[in-house]
Amino acid sequence: MTTTIDRPPQAPAPRPSPGIVHRLVSTDHKNIGILYCVSAFIFFLVGGALAEVMRTELMEPSRQIVSNETYNTLFTIHGTVMIFLFVAPFASGLANYLIPLQVGAPDMAFPRLNLSSFYFFIGGGILVLLAGVASAGQAAAMGWTAYPPLSEIRLSPGVGPDLWILGIVLVAISTVMNGVNILTTAFLMRAPGMTMWRMPIFTWNMVVVAILGLVAFPPAAAGLTLLLIGRRLGGLVYDAAAGGDPTIYQHLFWFLGHPEVYILILPFFGVITEIIPVFSRRPLFGYTGFLLATLTIGMLSTGVWAHHMFTTGVVDNPFFAAMTLLIAVPTGVKFFNWVGSMWGGKIWFAVPMLFSIGFLLNFLIGGVTGVMLASPPIDYQAHDTYFVVAHFHYTMLGGSVFGIFAAIYFWFPKMTGAMLSERLGRAVFALLFVGFNLTFWPQFVLGQRGMPRRYVDYASGIGYDTPNLVSTIGAYLMAVAVVVFLGDVWRSLRRRRPAGDDPWGGYSLEWATSSPPPEHNFDRLPKIRSVRPAFDRNHPGSAP
Amino acid sequence: MRVATRYFVLLGVFAFLAGVVYWFITYESVGTVLFLAFACTPAIIAWFAIRHGSMRDRRPEDDADADPAERAGEVLGPFPAETVWPIFLVLGSITIGASLIYGLILVPLGAALFVWALLGFTRESRG
Repeated sequence: MTTTIDRPPQAPAPRPSPGIVHRLVSTDHKNIGILYCVSAFIFFLVGGALAEVMRTELMEPSRQIVSNETYNTLFTIHGTVMIFLFVAPFASGLANYLIPLQVGAPDMAFPRLNLSSFYFFIGGGILVLLAGVASAGQAAAMGWTAYPPLSEIRLSPGVGPDLWILGIVLVAISTVMNGVNILTTAFLMRAPGMTMWRMPIFTWNMVVVAILGLVAFPPAAAGLTLLLIGRRLGGLVYDAAAGGDPTIYQHLFWFLGHPEVYILILPFFGVITEIIPVFSRRPLFGYTGFLLATLTIGMLSTGVWAHHMFTTGVVDNPFFAAMTLLIAVPTGVKFFNWVGSMWGGKIWFAVPMLFSIGFLLNFLIGGVTGVMLASPPIDYQAHDTYFVVAHFHYTMLGGSVFGIFAAIYFWFPKMTGAMLSERLGRAVFALLFVGFNLTFWPQFVLGQRGMPRRYVDYASGIGYDTPNLVSTIGAYLMAVAVVVFLGDVWRSLRRRRPAGDDPWGGYSLEWATSSPPPEHNFDRLPKIRSVRPAFDRNHPGSAP
Repeated sequence: MRVATRYFVLLGVFAFLAGVVYWFITYESVGTVLFLAFACTPAIIAWFAIRHGSMRDRRPEDDADADPAERAGEVLGPFPAETVWPIFLVLGSITIGASLIYGLILVPLGAALFVWALLGFTRESRG
């Protein structure tokens, strides 16, 4: 299919780039958004490198490139970095950049709170990394869940776990600050005519994510603080021998931990919902139904936390199984929205759309296996095996990370005024899609064959060898994809192939301003009469 | 703000009912407290919003036929374009937290940094 788009013959001369010091202290939401995204991506490179070391260790049985202790630290820091320092902050970066533009506001509601939120995230991230590089025997190595009694000082001595706890508490503070800012901006700073039911889906999803963050992070921060008090000040809340209860920690942690899954995925539901209609040349199918599904997911996600605790024997399994199965319904509704939006459309398979389709395929597998694990009898068999590892990577990496790449390819022209390479982008997608499925599909097989997670080694000849080898080859392919992507970004920023203000024919308000937008965001706001104000402006004949 | 307020009310009611149902099904206290505390969060926001007239006031962004010109020239307030104080706020917070690990001797230093940053924010706002 050939698609042509009108672009200005020459891009306007780029504004002089602000210096690095200005970038680090500027309260402009666009600047903070980019700081978030770039920092989060650097954390992704760190987390990815740790994953590559782990996969190399597991490529063959008995291969030893790291010690048992180091391996424990690797999976602890890898999980923490990817969840708390990459996916969620990247979504915060997109929200910071896009929400004021999408609702027609000049900035976020509280610009300095916004910058403070960023620095709390950076401070937390540095502490988490320090926790991983503490000297031998001192590093954090208790897993990203940090369950007591394993995380108590007698089993996890040293400063590493303490720094890790402090780091996560700082990230929690950052998330709460960011949530307040997002809610206030979306509710009180919308442009005239931008009613709540005309807000772009991405902004709506970030509203739900902000509320989830406000609800879920404080209990976890409290739980972690109690853990630190237990380690350093002799607190006994989790000490069973002193009448405490370690499962209280699990409740507090998972009351964050499961909504966190939706905190990580809902922003990228929003991203692909912005992309799919644009590249299908159709309006979103079922805007209201989609929103109601998002709100339902937001509410239900707060009542499913203890499905992570099925095997503890201290929670009501049927209650949490029922709630977890229920949440699959609104998630399924979204698939109808996405497929319905593509149905009959004139689909343009540009790179953002390819990543969105990859998201749909991967997330479907992650979602279906999640429904399987919601059933306690299956969960008892699969608990703590590679089946669970494969499941959550299909949702988090196959879902959220594909959403991140879709977002980068979609909004990079808006943020920089330059286009990324379509050819290299397709190569990145192909390498990442193949590499991802090669890495994690074999892990379903490993899980079914009973291989436990977090083991540094395995015996040969019991069905683990080939899937582990294939999985490691897949991980290397993903590393190549990331290298090609970084090359593409570097090349695009140097060559600066002009993007124009609206290279994709976008629908939401950010496409109605220049690329990159001016400091105050809009020289002139169009009238807002539907959920597609930029489209209405460009096609006045079909505007309502 | 009406739609947002209704959403907060709905969220609070949902969490309260979930807490009640959860208690009578499980008699498990931690989860019940979590649900009820969760109910309080949106309830407080909704209460505050309703008290400040969110259900009565009609703002330009709630009017489907409003024009951007209706808000043109509105002054939102002075905002410093740059600030360094968040960096010191975080350094102060880290130092206070680190005192639990490395000794309470660090508390005065952390508190001083934290308060200095807050004062810096305040002075900047007057600017």
